[in-house]
Amino acid sequence: MTAKVLLAIWMAIIIAAAFLYTEAASGFPGETSRILFFHVPQAWVATLAFLLSMIASAVYLAKRRVTADDLALSAAELGFLFCVLATVTGSIFAKATWGSFWNWDPRETSIVILLMIYGAYFALRSAVPDPEKKRVFAGVYAILAFITVPFLVFVVPRITASLHPEDTMNPANPGMDPKTLKVFLGSLFAYTALFVWMLRLRMRILRLEEMREEERRRQI
Amino acid sequence: MKSGRWITQTESSTYLNEAMAIWLRDLRSEFRTRYAINAILMFAVTTLVAVSFSIGAFRIGEAEKPFLYAVLLWIILVFSALSGLSRSFVKEEEAGTMDVLRLSARPQAVFLGKLFFNLTLLGALELIIVPSFILFMEYEIEFPGFFAAMTISAGLGLGAGTTIVAAMIAQASARGALFSALSFPLLFPLMITAIKGCERAAAGMDSAGWPEVRIAVAYVIIMIIMSLFLFPLIWEE
Repeated sequence: MTAKVLLAIWMAIIIAAAFLYTEAASGFPGETSRILFFHVPQAWVATLAFLLSMIASAVYLAKRRVTADDLALSAAELGFLFCVLATVTGSIFAKATWGSFWNWDPRETSIVILLMIYGAYFALRSAVPDPEKKRVFAGVYAILAFITVPFLVFVVPRITASLHPEDTMNPANPGMDPKTLKVFLGSLFAYTALFVWMLRLRMRILRLEEMREEERRRQI
Repeated sequence: MKSGRWITQTESSTYLNEAMAIWLRDLRSEFRTRYAINAILMFAVTTLVAVSFSIGAFRIGEAEKPFLYAVLLWIILVFSALSGLSRSFVKEEEAGTMDVLRLSARPQAVFLGKLFFNLTLLGALELIIVPSFILFMEYEIEFPGFFAAMTISAGLGLGAGTTIVAAMIAQASARGALFSALSFPLLFPLMITAIKGCERAAAGMDSAGWPEVRIAVAYVIIMIIMSLFLFPLIWEE
């Protein structure tokens, strides 16, 4: 409970600081660079979530523990949510700086494939009635999809020549001024904590649903 | 089950023997009904006619031809394949022969047998559609060898990427739509590779070492090996 309240306060401070405390970076039109404090942590959480989901899927296939599959599903769902958020914020930034919402930049291409893969993953889960089978199939599909991703690196044209800002916004880069760096790291922490909180909430819901299902089966 | 005599699991039978038996059995039953090949070919021919009729051989400028035609060709091939390849497993589920198949052959052999069958269908599809496309659309190809290798290797990739998905969706509900939805993200890198390769072969661009063919072959190998590992999990439930 306290953690939830603290997280809310922390998030509010970060949002306020992103607009009031830091200065907009030079080299970007107007105030657009402030997207850094929201877009990058969202993309980071999406990556983290999909990676977690992949590992949990493999663990489920090896050990057959329902918790592992719950984790895989919850992480995939949240990863999808944050991936959509990152796509939307990125697209707005693209319009402001490059002049179009969508231009199949390598980053845009890879994120669409990711969304398609997980869209299919959820479709598969909803189409298999047997719960045990559903979990195995979902795990197998997640692994299959994961191994096709490296091929994109070879085939997506101009993968090295993306318009996506890289160095200017890399936290390891000394180019980021201390104020920006402070708020950025704070935002990364806030989004990661938000993800962990939502993940645990989702897993609790899944566990309750399973318990209710079991209860119903026992009554029959 | 009359075709049962084709599949016998004995001490001496190897994976390949069992796979060949399943492949032959599927071919025989396909020759009787011609369901899958008819569905795929009619889909492909209809699309080809639609494309050819609406664009024709002279509508697209010479400079644009190699790329745009490669795109059209692969859209026809990929979506025709997606329209019928799931048959290989769905028909077992519909006929109620899944369990017999589970008992009579090892999972990897089942996978290989079904893969061979799907590759046969894809071979027939490409054999008919690719030459027709070239004829109808006046597609001029500078490097026919490269073009043929690209078509064949990407065709193998279509089979390698979709066979295990077919096995999954056969055991799910809403099969038809689901098969395309699940397969397409897996096939996307392959499709882009095939389009690039065919464009290069047609335009006569620098193609030393056939890089796209190599990517497609790597895709085929990785997908088949991973499928052999993962298939037993979805088969023996």
